[in-house]
Amino acid sequence: MDTDTELPSIIAGDADAFGRWLASAERPVRESLRSFAVVVDAEAVLQEALLRVWQVAPRFQPDGRPNGLLRLAVRIARNLAVSEVRRRRVTPAEPAQLEAALAEAEQAPRPPDPMLRDALRECREQLPAKPRQALDARLAGAGGADDPDLAASLGMRLNTFLQNFTRARQMLAECLRRRGVLLDVELGA
Amino acid sequence: MTPEEEAEEELLVEQVASAHRVPTPAFGDLAYHPAWHDLRPAARERAFERGLALRVAEAALDPDGLSTTARAVLARIRR
Repeated sequence: MDTDTELPSIIAGDADAFGRWLASAERPVRESLRSFAVVVDAEAVLQEALLRVWQVAPRFQPDGRPNGLLRLAVRIARNLAVSEVRRRRVTPAEPAQLEAALAEAEQAPRPPDPMLRDALRECREQLPAKPRQALDARLAGAGGADDPDLAASLGMRLNTFLQNFTRARQMLAECLRRRGVLLDVELGA
Repeated sequence: MTPEEEAEEELLVEQVASAHRVPTPAFGDLAYHPAWHDLRPAARERAFERGLALRVAEAALDPDGLSTTARAVLARIRR
């Protein structure tokens, strides 16, 4: 799977094409930040790195190998994390771990799992009302609304909202397990 | 930690694992989640792994295969 199929449209400034690239590229870039997770807010680094990829994409020169923009994104994210580690004067992760993460992230992204998609949709339908509301509010918020605002929109206190969201997450994980789908241990933790 | 403190920390982990970050006005400034600073190292690792699992689930539930992180980035691009 080569994520560079969207490259000409991205270079031309097509945000929809960048969205399609993000659908494949986000996970490997995020995973490349695992070794920094204790010393930087990886979500903040990831979002800033993806914005910078969009900004530099018009000047990107492909090297003929697949997943060129993804490899650039991993390097931008890593450099941003390293800069942040230096700025905060915290102990960085081992360089060997960083190199391993970079090499792993440069592999071709895994395509979306249709079995996971179908199972998740069915499991979501089975959620009780309050946990379902909390989950749907997070999805509808699309990362643009904070939890206090989402809670207020549902008439819940923040802690109640978070407890309902936790229940939704754990129930989804349990439902997936019953169907033989293992997403990640942290979804059910 | 007491059970109450552990429960409180779990709620912080749940917030940090979300994709919401307040965009910063200055280029290059990172938008940390305020609760991230209050987490112990092990809780920061949990927040990372939970965020990863949630983004995969969100993308699987989204008609365009986009997580809330991807939606947030695209919203800033289109602003």
